[in-house]
Amino acid sequence: MERLRHLSVLVMVMAVLFAAEVFAAEPLRLAIPLPLTGGQAKFGEMMKRSYEMAAEEINAKGGVRGRKLALEFEDSSAKPEIARAIVEKLIDVKKQPIIIGEYTSACAKAVAAVAEERKTPYVVVASAADEITQQKYKYVFRMNPPNAHYSDGLMSYFKEVVKPATMAIIYESSDFGSSSAKDMVKNAERAGIRVLVNEKYEKGAVDFRPILSKVKAANPDVIFMVSYVMDAALLMRQIKELRVDARLFAGGAAGFDIPEFVDNAKDAAEYVVTATLWTPQLTFKGAREYAAKFKSKYGDFPSYHGASAYATVYVVKDALERAKNLTPDEIRAALKATKMETAFGPVQFADKEGFQNQNFTDTYVRQVIKGEHETIWPAAYATQKYIFPIPKWRERR
Amino acid sequence: MKRSLPLIILGLLGLTPLLGLSSYIMHILIIFIMWSVIGMSWNLLGGYCGQVSFGHAAFFGLGAYTAGILYHHAGMSSWWGLPFSIVFVAGFSLVIGFIVLRLRGPYFALATLAMGEVLRVSAENLTWLTQGDMGIMLQQRTWVGKVQYYYIILGIAALTFFLVKKVIESKLGYYFVAIREDQDAAESLGINTTFYKTIALCLSAVLTGVAGAFYTNYMGYIDPKVVFALHDISIVTIMVVMVGGVATYWGPAVGAVIMILLAEVVRSIPKLGAAHHTLFGVLLIVIIIFLPNGITGDFGRLKKMFGLRNGADVDKLKRLLGFGRSSS
Amino acid sequence: MTAPQVEVLLQTLIAGLLLGGLYALIGIGMTLIMGVMKIINLAHGELMMVAMFIAYWLFTLLQIDPYVSVFIAAPVLFVIGVLLQKFLITPVLKVDSILPENQVILTVGIGMVLSNLATLLFKSDYRSVSVEYASQAWYLTDYWKDAPIELSLSFAWAVSFLIALVITAVLWFFLTKTDTGKSVRATAQDLHAALLMGVNVNRMRMLSFGIGAGLVGAAGCLFIPIYYLYPALGGQFTLIAFVITILGGLGSTVGAIIGGVILGIFESMTATYVGMGWAPVGRFVIFVAALIFLPGGVASLLRKRRVGK
Repeated sequence: MERLRHLSVLVMVMAVLFAAEVFAAEPLRLAIPLPLTGGQAKFGEMMKRSYEMAAEEINAKGGVRGRKLALEFEDSSAKPEIARAIVEKLIDVKKQPIIIGEYTSACAKAVAAVAEERKTPYVVVASAADEITQQKYKYVFRMNPPNAHYSDGLMSYFKEVVKPATMAIIYESSDFGSSSAKDMVKNAERAGIRVLVNEKYEKGAVDFRPILSKVKAANPDVIFMVSYVMDAALLMRQIKELRVDARLFAGGAAGFDIPEFVDNAKDAAEYVVTATLWTPQLTFKGAREYAAKFKSKYGDFPSYHGASAYATVYVVKDALERAKNLTPDEIRAALKATKMETAFGPVQFADKEGFQNQNFTDTYVRQVIKGEHETIWPAAYATQKYIFPIPKWRERR
Repeated sequence: MKRSLPLIILGLLGLTPLLGLSSYIMHILIIFIMWSVIGMSWNLLGGYCGQVSFGHAAFFGLGAYTAGILYHHAGMSSWWGLPFSIVFVAGFSLVIGFIVLRLRGPYFALATLAMGEVLRVSAENLTWLTQGDMGIMLQQRTWVGKVQYYYIILGIAALTFFLVKKVIESKLGYYFVAIREDQDAAESLGINTTFYKTIALCLSAVLTGVAGAFYTNYMGYIDPKVVFALHDISIVTIMVVMVGGVATYWGPAVGAVIMILLAEVVRSIPKLGAAHHTLFGVLLIVIIIFLPNGITGDFGRLKKMFGLRNGADVDKLKRLLGFGRSSS
Repeated sequence: MTAPQVEVLLQTLIAGLLLGGLYALIGIGMTLIMGVMKIINLAHGELMMVAMFIAYWLFTLLQIDPYVSVFIAAPVLFVIGVLLQKFLITPVLKVDSILPENQVILTVGIGMVLSNLATLLFKSDYRSVSVEYASQAWYLTDYWKDAPIELSLSFAWAVSFLIALVITAVLWFFLTKTDTGKSVRATAQDLHAALLMGVNVNRMRMLSFGIGAGLVGAAGCLFIPIYYLYPALGGQFTLIAFVITILGGLGSTVGAIIGGVILGIFESMTATYVGMGWAPVGRFVIFVAALIFLPGGVASLLRKRRVGK
């Protein structure tokens, strides 16, 4: 009996050694669900590129736990039930112990629900809806701050510089648009700003002139807009055309924050400020390098979506290396204890203000100055001094 | 054998969970059965009664939102959505039927399409009721495992199947087909076409609504763009039936299997995955051209196809007449 | 009404009128296809997307102005349309099926393939052409110094409105004054009669699908300076085209223009006075109302008046 036990221990030790030997060559496969087709594919693509860049860098430096990181991508077309199917497959069939990815809030909600039920950690990369980390989920972590905090930087800019008394809000009909607008109404109330117009539009609208002439008649100090890439450009082009003069044009991240906005709105984009979670000019270690590399490879600066995706791979690597073994629970524990500096800023998953496992980062304000997005607020991070007041449309040449 | 086939298949499906399949496979099965339900109920109205609806997402979404709203506002279990959606969707379909059923052919199709879109945009705008674009999320789904959901949707599917069969084999079914083949002739025979079309619509809508209520319970999250989707619900429904077989008992199930398997398999192939819509579209085109009544519908005719070549001119005229009928 | 209120009202009306012209442009192609062939073409928007890509690349690579591209993209789309009709739609029309709506699903398939191929080829980036005149406008105060209100008229929008009128006129002339046009109309009105009168129905169908596609191709070129482009853009414009077609009356070009303007003004008014989020509801309510209360569309009203005289 005694001998048998010794034998079994020996066999087990050998098996473990053998397994380790085999696995050393076996890459660590990580499949990521994201939208690669459909209307949201633009951001899916940007995130995919960023994931790949991070994985390449990590592999060049020896990989994770001595294993190469092999990323695969699964297209969810931004549809929740497909996202759900993908994740069920990853957890069940591929036995993947950690899930990252997705983009739209609807998909992230679906994935978060599965992850929690199946007790597999899920790191949300760039989905904004507040509820995702308000469900008392133990296994759901989020890199980007929740929607309620997107405009923190912008609000402080309002308070210290613009000092507006009135505001108009125009937002797209989406989860992100609606909750941004809702949070902005609350913020405005707190800051004593009166909201004169609060209007939603169907994504992809062609003509904003009716609503803009209404805004013009109300004459608000600030026009706050939450839009996708091209709606944002279209809005500013038509604002310029109608000569709607507000003291400030502000965008709520997303569409206003990426280079395409300036490319497409041209001179109408000048002086527009936008809330953002990250900028390529930040001084976090690796931030500028990442942005420069992305730009040289793909010809564009990435936005916070890309940066968050890029940093997420590092956060996951860090957690996987600290975890005792690669079981979901150990990885969860390691993620919970994360405390690291990334290109996206310091990352730490905290429980506060009703959020769980939520990373809170500072948010910033960027302004388009001479056709470039410059970081202007908080002043400590500014690459250029903000321009305020801005000239009226008539005076611009 | 033929009579008991449905029962045998039901029995086999009932035993499937005992195989201990992974939850991924179970998920695919559940989605497949759900689509079969939607397909069968669409088939009742579109396939048998000839009223091609492009707006079944409206009923699906209404059912889903009935469950969601009961949960969110009344604090009831979202499972109450199943019985309540029957009442609610039935009422809605009567109202909508009153408006759209007086239209025929392509006009009916377009009117139902508009109905789906109106509901979607309304759900986006009635924030106080539906939470708008932020959607409704269940704090916790009832079960983590799949088996319970599987049996529930299987039960719904079995009921739908036998209900459709019962209806079609009754006098009602003959009226439906008569209306599909020639509405004016049916009318002149003394069939109250509006009445029977309303019955078909109402049944079809209610069954679809129940599937929608199930969806809320199963997925745990709904928003207007998901459950009222024109492309992803209304049109996929039609595709499921057209691919599988119009006006056949098994067509919708066959169609659902093909559509879902294909989507899952192709999507997972690396590199090719992004092209899955192209392959899908091509398959659809091929099926429509070569098997116009779907795989089940044209199964027997596949062999006969060669024999049909004779008398091409007469056939041509006939087909043209058949085409003209729909648009009159 | 105070001056600002008047300004809002007038500006809304102008916006609605111009939007209507644009809508009509998209709808005219469909009214021809639906009028002649009675098929619901759900790939209409995707065809426009293809034309927009043509215009986009012509501008980006060869600096050809989108307005010039009309003369390139429209013929290309015409050929695409003829080929689609000949090799895909005609075979489906010929097969015997329980539901004639088969063709609709066919066009869904075509649309899926087109937009997915565009994604594969060009990525899903958002693009636009940066023409000088994209955000140029005329202002009332530039011409009348002390005007109590300010109104503006967008250059690009005004141009596409005018071109929509020109296209309508040309098409109207083609359909009513030429033999081929008359054959197309005969096919649209009574297929069997046309067949008996010796009209080559198949050729007429190919022609009308081709012209329909060519028209939406032209619309794409006129559209790109004021809008933007991405592969998934088609769907929403297909829906708008339906509304115009039904509102205007099947096969009626003049109806399409009037229908477009009605819809444009109605949507703009909804956006200003009800809420922009509700504008699409207004669109579909008008649509269903037209289906039920005005089955022949605006065109039937026009005809009635003529008969009355």
